[in-house]
Amino acid sequence: MSGPNNPPSAAATARLSVAQGSSLKRSVQAAFDESSDPKKMPANSYTSKVRVLDKYKVIGFISSGTYGRVYKAVGLNGQSGEFAIKKFKPDKEGEMIQYTGISQSACREMALCSELSHPNVINLVEIILEDKCIFMVFEYAEHDLLQIIQHHTQPTRHPIPASAIKSILFQLLNGLYYLHSSWVLHRDLKPANIMVTSRGEVRIGDLGLARLFYKPLHSLFNGDKVVVTIWYRAPELLLGSKHYTPAVDLWAVGCIFAELLSLRPIFKGEEAKLDNKKTVPFQRSQMQKIVDVLGLPTVEKWPNLVHHVDYGNLGHLTPLGPRLPPSENGRCAGLEAWYWNTLRTSNYEANLNAGTPGPQGLDLLSKLLEWDPAKRLTAEDALQHPYFSANGDKVSANCFEGMSAQYPHRRVSQDDNDIRTSSLPGTKRNGLPDDTFAGRPTKRLKD
Amino acid sequence: MAADFWASTQRRYWQFSKEQLAELRDKLDNEDKTLVQQCPLPDRRLLSHFFNTQLVKLGKRMPIRQQAIATAQVYIRRFYIKVPIRQTNPYIVMATALYLACKMEESPQHIRVVVGEASAVWSGSEHLPTKPSFADQQDVIPLDVSKLGEFEFYLISEMNSQLIVHHPYRTLQELQSTLNLAPDEISLAWSVINDHYMTDLPLLNPPHVIAVSAIFLALTLKPTQGGLQATIATAAALSNTPQLSKNTSSADNRAPDMTSNKVQNFVAWLAEGEVDIKAVVDCSQEIISLYEVLEQYKETTCKEQIAACMKKRGLV
Repeated sequence: MSGPNNPPSAAATARLSVAQGSSLKRSVQAAFDESSDPKKMPANSYTSKVRVLDKYKVIGFISSGTYGRVYKAVGLNGQSGEFAIKKFKPDKEGEMIQYTGISQSACREMALCSELSHPNVINLVEIILEDKCIFMVFEYAEHDLLQIIQHHTQPTRHPIPASAIKSILFQLLNGLYYLHSSWVLHRDLKPANIMVTSRGEVRIGDLGLARLFYKPLHSLFNGDKVVVTIWYRAPELLLGSKHYTPAVDLWAVGCIFAELLSLRPIFKGEEAKLDNKKTVPFQRSQMQKIVDVLGLPTVEKWPNLVHHVDYGNLGHLTPLGPRLPPSENGRCAGLEAWYWNTLRTSNYEANLNAGTPGPQGLDLLSKLLEWDPAKRLTAEDALQHPYFSANGDKVSANCFEGMSAQYPHRRVSQDDNDIRTSSLPGTKRNGLPDDTFAGRPTKRLKD
Repeated sequence: MAADFWASTQRRYWQFSKEQLAELRDKLDNEDKTLVQQCPLPDRRLLSHFFNTQLVKLGKRMPIRQQAIATAQVYIRRFYIKVPIRQTNPYIVMATALYLACKMEESPQHIRVVVGEASAVWSGSEHLPTKPSFADQQDVIPLDVSKLGEFEFYLISEMNSQLIVHHPYRTLQELQSTLNLAPDEISLAWSVINDHYMTDLPLLNPPHVIAVSAIFLALTLKPTQGGLQATIATAAALSNTPQLSKNTSSADNRAPDMTSNKVQNFVAWLAEGEVDIKAVVDCSQEIISLYEVLEQYKETTCKEQIAACMKKRGLV
């Protein structure tokens, strides 16, 4: 699963961390220790009433991104349980760390997480603002979908049980329905952002790109020109839509569903980078990957297609060959072929233990990967889809129900670069020997 | 839920009774009684009007919408029930609240722009005491990004990161067609909503109650319909008629403008709806008394008292 745009520095840093070995144990703690002594603070300045290290013991490093780093911690002083602490790194001016104003994405995440409460959305415990750093304390989730997908590719490919996929998808849609009915767009759904607890409960995480969409003061497009990690980005966004809707999150759910089945991203394009003029380029490679499976979109099926900025660019794409038979019952023939082929190569038919998502799975997938955002299933409608009710099965609230094997625990290391000097680009996950995950693109906004 | 007021942090943590508010403020005042005596400040509503004027002034220099100014005012009001005003530089509080509100209302302004414009608006001795000894004082707000950034931490921390504010504007828009409101009535109600941020009402009532009160005032305050006195009479009539639907005609006798069709429809709608009528009446009276208090407003008094207070505390 080597990705198209590996940030070489991330892999290099991972190797470096391993090489530095045990001396780094101190630096995990150091990342929190740098908070200055409140007594030394000059009068008339801000000091936190709560100190992170008085309440939590940091036991390791989980991951890092452009926003900062995530650590695993346990509660102190009678506060039981495990926590994930997300530390937003402050901007630096020269050698000194300065207050430079909190990024809009951190503001959104703090504000939204404080309001939201749902069994399928990651639970915020508290926020501590201490010495120029923001610490968001979340409940700890042992797994995430990226890790689970990865586990099923090793040592050989073996499918994620169909019942587990059904439960994951139902919980994901349930959480998304809550977000959407709270007028929150997530805008960055992807396997790495979907957490799973050791009890098999799915939690939507990372609301760093999320925002309210109720009557925005400006069009959503003006605020953030680029949203959603490229492989999960909906076609209307790729075509430069100015007004997008919760449907962008449902496209991402479709992509995640497909990836759970095939253990590979379904549309693995290469991102065209922003040029110097900061105009958003047409994402030709990504669009081509979608066309390779779904064929070219047509105005008959998607009337608003012509109103998209990049409509003209569609003509430069290679249409899906004529090798496919005409579609039945209006379904996309290309996707149908992809689906049955995937089920066959993933051994869903042969592997009785894994069960099969069956024809209802295809129907749901095709309605999530619908070109026209106006026709795409909503989270509410998707929850009503027969895929979840067929055979009279009850969808389990524990996606691991009936599974004998256990997934390995999240790898947490003592390795950490000194937070004061690090300026790590891109995303890094702990404990990975190669660039498996470094190959995955990330999408973060410049604030 | 982020967009549902009933599940919001605003309802759960930032709605109080009048008694609770008074208690919180007494507690702050008791922290340093001498300071409170030595540094008199104007009536809270006059001070709030001063803040409002200053925020609007600052906002005019940037492309900022009214809603961001409203959010900033709510932030300031929340902050000052946690922190004694006399221990702060209100100009930094205002600039920071507006900077943060702009981000939360999705119309972000760069921190340098906010600091720069704030310094420009509040520069010079205009905001300092008029006594000659203060003539060469530095500006009331330091031109310093890190100071504002630091204060942002303070502000967010005191508000427990609860930054999403529900405003009455939305209910007003939703009720426009239900109550068949004319554009001039909408705009009048809109300005009443703008004005209510100068009172404690945002901490006392849910936004829809405020919106309904604003509509009530807009329908009855219209110059053609007798103005303030008539509105007071109508409000009194409303509060004395527990069963409105049956008694609208009796209210007619007390307040002449109740005969207006629209007002009657409004009262009928109010009677059958689930809006707390007593709260609407209280809100309306609160706003009317705001307008009465504002007649005493003198900007220079506010400026001087704030400046004297900051001087005393060494905050300038």
